[in-house]
Amino acid sequence: MKILLAEDDFVTRKFMTNFLSKYGECDVTVDGMEAVDAFMMALEDGEPYDLVCLDIMMPVMDGYQALVGIRNLEKERNISAEDAVKVIMATALNDEKNVKMAFDLGCTVYSGKPIDQEKFEQALKKLGLIDQ
Amino acid sequence: MAEEFNAEGMLDMYLFENTQLLERLQEIVLEQKDEECFDDDGINEIFRTMHTIKGSSGVMMFDEITKVSHKLEDVFYYLRESHPQDVPHLELVEHVLEVADFINGEMEKLQNGDSADGDATEIIASVDKFLNSIKGDKKEKEKVIKENVHEEPKQFYIAPVATSASHFYRIYLTYDPGIQLANVHAYKIVYSLKEIAEDLLYYPEDIISDESSADEIAENGFKILLQTQSSEEDLRGLIQEGYELKKVDIYECTAEEYQQGFDAVGSEIRIDLDSSVEEIEAKAQGTEGAITEQPEESKEPEKPKIPEKIAPGDFVIESKEPGKAKKLAKDKPKKGEKAAFISVDVSKMDMLMDLIGELVIAESVVLQNSDLRVPGLKLDNFNKAAGQMTKISTDLQNVIMSMRMVPLTNTFQKMNRIVFDVSRKLGKDVEFEMVGENTEVDKNIIEHISDPLMHLVRNSVDHGIESIEERQAAGKTEKGKVTLSAKTESGKVWISVQDNGAGLDREKIIAKARKQGLLDPYKLDSAYTDKEVYQFITLPGFSTNEQVTEYSGRGVGMDVVVSNLQSIGGSLEIESTPGEGSVMNMKIPLTLAIIDGIVMVVNKTSFVIETGVVKEFVGVREDMLQQDPDGQEFVMIRGEAFPVLRLGDFYHLPNYEPDLKRGMLVIIEVDKENICLLVDRLVGKQEIVVKPIPDYIKKVEGLSGCTQMGDGSIALILDPAGLLEAYSK
Amino acid sequence: MIENDVQERDTQKGKYVTFKSGNEYFGIKIQYVNEIIVYQEVTAIPESEDYIKGLINLRGKIIPVIDVRLRFKQPPIEYNDRTCIIVITVKSTVVGLIVEKIAEVVEIKDEDILPSPTIRHGEKVQQKYVYGIGKIGDAVKLLLDPDKLLNDEDLSLLEQASGDVSEEGE
Repeated sequence: MKILLAEDDFVTRKFMTNFLSKYGECDVTVDGMEAVDAFMMALEDGEPYDLVCLDIMMPVMDGYQALVGIRNLEKERNISAEDAVKVIMATALNDEKNVKMAFDLGCTVYSGKPIDQEKFEQALKKLGLIDQ
Repeated sequence: MAEEFNAEGMLDMYLFENTQLLERLQEIVLEQKDEECFDDDGINEIFRTMHTIKGSSGVMMFDEITKVSHKLEDVFYYLRESHPQDVPHLELVEHVLEVADFINGEMEKLQNGDSADGDATEIIASVDKFLNSIKGDKKEKEKVIKENVHEEPKQFYIAPVATSASHFYRIYLTYDPGIQLANVHAYKIVYSLKEIAEDLLYYPEDIISDESSADEIAENGFKILLQTQSSEEDLRGLIQEGYELKKVDIYECTAEEYQQGFDAVGSEIRIDLDSSVEEIEAKAQGTEGAITEQPEESKEPEKPKIPEKIAPGDFVIESKEPGKAKKLAKDKPKKGEKAAFISVDVSKMDMLMDLIGELVIAESVVLQNSDLRVPGLKLDNFNKAAGQMTKISTDLQNVIMSMRMVPLTNTFQKMNRIVFDVSRKLGKDVEFEMVGENTEVDKNIIEHISDPLMHLVRNSVDHGIESIEERQAAGKTEKGKVTLSAKTESGKVWISVQDNGAGLDREKIIAKARKQGLLDPYKLDSAYTDKEVYQFITLPGFSTNEQVTEYSGRGVGMDVVVSNLQSIGGSLEIESTPGEGSVMNMKIPLTLAIIDGIVMVVNKTSFVIETGVVKEFVGVREDMLQQDPDGQEFVMIRGEAFPVLRLGDFYHLPNYEPDLKRGMLVIIEVDKENICLLVDRLVGKQEIVVKPIPDYIKKVEGLSGCTQMGDGSIALILDPAGLLEAYSK
Repeated sequence: MIENDVQERDTQKGKYVTFKSGNEYFGIKIQYVNEIIVYQEVTAIPESEDYIKGLINLRGKIIPVIDVRLRFKQPPIEYNDRTCIIVITVKSTVVGLIVEKIAEVVEIKDEDILPSPTIRHGEKVQQKYVYGIGKIGDAVKLLLDPDKLLNDEDLSLLEQASGDVSEEGE
């Protein structure tokens, strides 16, 4: 599985990379802009990501903007809902508003931090990203 | 569970909304449990509730809750579409309650920070069986109805994990002021901590590229917020004090404090600013959201204030924020009205309570000051002003007390369910009635009476109410009744549990008491009043039940009820009529009692008794006092005889010589019984703050507390009922 | 919440407040001691043990006080201007101890504390509240266990009970 991670804090980045590498190959970016760029590159190379993991609070472009950017790129290429990349937003923000906005913009999974690793895996299974 | 929701976090929202839904569900079920079947509105509402719970639980990935609510939704979908006849109603009711209980149980686990690990398989199977049985009817099979369509959730929310093994720490590192490159040192520590960190935040934030952070750290230290399973010891092992790292302070804190970042704010309660006193009372139990006072800004950079409407781009940051003040303005009033609330530290509320008590005492110091006792002094203006002051302070007391007063409604409602459960399990038919459930008591009291009340209610249903056959045989209605009532009277709250069952069996109780050696060998059985006999059942280990049922009969209940009550200054009275039923009366004082009292002096000791019980004062003359054949002293007043209690003798006050020339008789009335207290002097009438006699001192009969007088001395507060009881022994 | 006395705990190890009662000196670990005040008027509580003198009003807080001499079953003496009350807190119970005469706060190292001899019948009453004997130079201080001092049942009552058939209530 190809995974794209966007996280600006170094310490968290190390932790997330460790954590996500269990499930697949993990590419790392440090802000929303870089993430969207990386996503586009992968699409153009014909090797799109299966899973994108976004922090919300980042420099240059925040997680929501990156999410919008990614979904727009997919719409442009007429990528269907079933084929669209699964996006997980992992953040310490826990407000209902934040969650609602994330879901409205097309986020697949919203995970509070610290990440419940068991539930995370469970979600991946439900989404069909890893085998049961 | 309804008390403390931080109503913004996703998990809290989920728990809050679903708890509300389930409470409503239980209400509907209990309202309609005696009908033939659920009415259409009821079916619809239950269907919608299960549908909603299924949906939100699916998003939160609580699989068992999702599955069980899915199953029950199917049942009510079927009922709604197909209107089958002869649905076994009570069985259905039980299934609904079973499902509701399971979900409530799981939510309670979540509320406590544990995981929802319950297994609903059996419940689901039994509900499934039920559904098939009502579908199985041949007539039903012929109907064609749409299958219930379930949409699988496509988006999921994962709640952040904080296992109960997680610790939250605040770590403060102080370096040698001369240290160079403190930020690099700090970074090394952060690096080693991250291995064991579930979450890690620190200030100053940019310790890698910002060189000024080195100065900041050298001067003011380095702060870290850490969430981890590791112990403090482990942490100290990782962060070693070296010659440059002068001091390592590690403080464990709570999850809430952790979330609040580097500012510490204590736990909060919410106080209504706008509403009237009545509204405050109504909401005092509330779970409404609040506008938080922003914690004081210290040296932290400005935290991003999350605005009402959010949009992408709102979360772009200059630098990452270490710890954010969490609570936002969000009102969720129950009736859809907006109300202004303010969050206040609990400790400040307590201080306020103490201060109001001190105010009352200080007031009396002023109003009774010896400086004012100048003969001939004209005090008209002074008294007028003093009256105004007293009025204001009384109002102040009332508002503050009302903030802590909470209606008994919820507590009583819980009993409804208990009556239903116990009566069902025992095959009895029992109706539940509530009277005066809006009566309010101090918050603290609610916690202490919940268990005793439960026990008394269970007892009533289990032992009080007879089985249907027994009732029929006795010519009573098949349906028994348990009535829970509450009222306040003269500074006390009376809560009683009454049943129309068999009543207490006096003979049986006396027999058991005899067996346990509790009877006075010199007292005839008939000399024991009914009241005294009934009190035996409150002794430890005393239970006249041959059979121990699941609910009661172990004989460990009643004495615990009594001691629970005593711990809040209350007592239990038992009345009973054989064949007709029993009444258990709990008498509880309202705490933070500021009562109106009469101050009296006997010898050198000051006593206070509540004004409400005092009927009259009579100056004593030696010749008034007489003795009856038993040697008890009494006095004749206007042709009536009143027993006399010499307080000095009763309490064996040292060197007591009653002053029979200037002494006073204080006639008090308790429960229609009168008694005269002989005291040396009356001091006056004033408001006093009831303070408990410290636990270290063993309970003295007839005393219910103590108080500080205007001159700093201490007076003892008399308990009229206790005095009477002690006297009659 | 940050507790400032987290630091102080360490620096207080081994310090004892000492006082004189009868012919002996006693010590109580300083951690239990809230404050020491001059004797003040006590309001008696009827029907309580002889050593429980009653209640005092300490800046708004009502605190029970006991007379240490009476607790030790020594004959009581008149209170004078040397008499003090040591206010202690043991397991959230606050009690004042009326003592004859306050002595200094001393530091006793753990190794200078000898275990107290076992109680034999007929030993002085105060022995059962003493858990150790601390040596300072030539002097010894009998170190009191505050919990036992406050809460242990009266020895004589227990003896009485074992002699009688029926047990007294409280």
